[in-house]
Amino acid sequence: MRFPEPERREFGENVIPLINIVFLLLIFFMLAGTLTPPDAFDVEPPETREARMEDEPEEGLILLSADGELAFEGEEITFSGLAEAVASRLRDDEPPMLTLKADSAVPASLLLDLMDVLREAGAESIMLLTTPES
Amino acid sequence: MHVEPEQRRRRHLIGLTPLIDVVFILLVFFMLASSFMDWQSISLSVPGDGRATEADLRSTVVRVLEDGQVEVDGEPTTVVGLRERFGEIFADDPDHAVVVRPQDQAALQHVVRVVETLNAAGGTRVTLNREPR
Repeated sequence: MRFPEPERREFGENVIPLINIVFLLLIFFMLAGTLTPPDAFDVEPPETREARMEDEPEEGLILLSADGELAFEGEEITFSGLAEAVASRLRDDEPPMLTLKADSAVPASLLLDLMDVLREAGAESIMLLTTPES
Repeated sequence: MHVEPEQRRRRHLIGLTPLIDVVFILLVFFMLASSFMDWQSISLSVPGDGRATEADLRSTVVRVLEDGQVEVDGEPTTVVGLRERFGEIFADDPDHAVVVRPQDQAALQHVVRVVETLNAAGGTRVTLNREPR
């Protein structure tokens, strides 16, 4: 008895649904996510319940870790370096927009030290980034 | 004679595998590089140099202790109590100045919670300052 030879499926037939899904995922990640440059170090921002919604800005972003590491626009910097960078930024454009992304465990004295530096550089206010409480 | 398979294979002259490779690489790139964080922000005004100004004398002082407890004019309170108390104060006088004085080791999370509560209660002049030494 001869069985009919099983039809050899084409390679492409199996893979097309897979490609469809992968394309959909690709489009989802392209549209739904925002591409952001990685931070100089890990920071876990504090949580808030009722603050205003905001997009993460790329310019004038100050990063502060709980250990006192500091980065300005992606580059690690010292407190005195930050003063210069902010002062030159303030000279360049008006109104200056400074955003602080600080770790939720940053001690208040460190925050106030940073504020002192900013005051001396001429900044008047700063936006503190937070995440919605989960 | 068996000719058909030869013709079928020609349909995939442009290989599917490299296409899938590229799409997978793009997918992995976008999965790793994109972030889905929701951001909120609160505005902090840069404090003065720690000397008491005239406005400070008429302002209410909120202290944030190291363990996250809150004191208003020396009385311990909670975040809910803070909201009620300042809701009334700001209803009378929206420009009432409030100075938040965190202790040196108070975590930012506690400070943020207090400032956020004061803003939500209607405060417009909330400043952050050091504890006087």
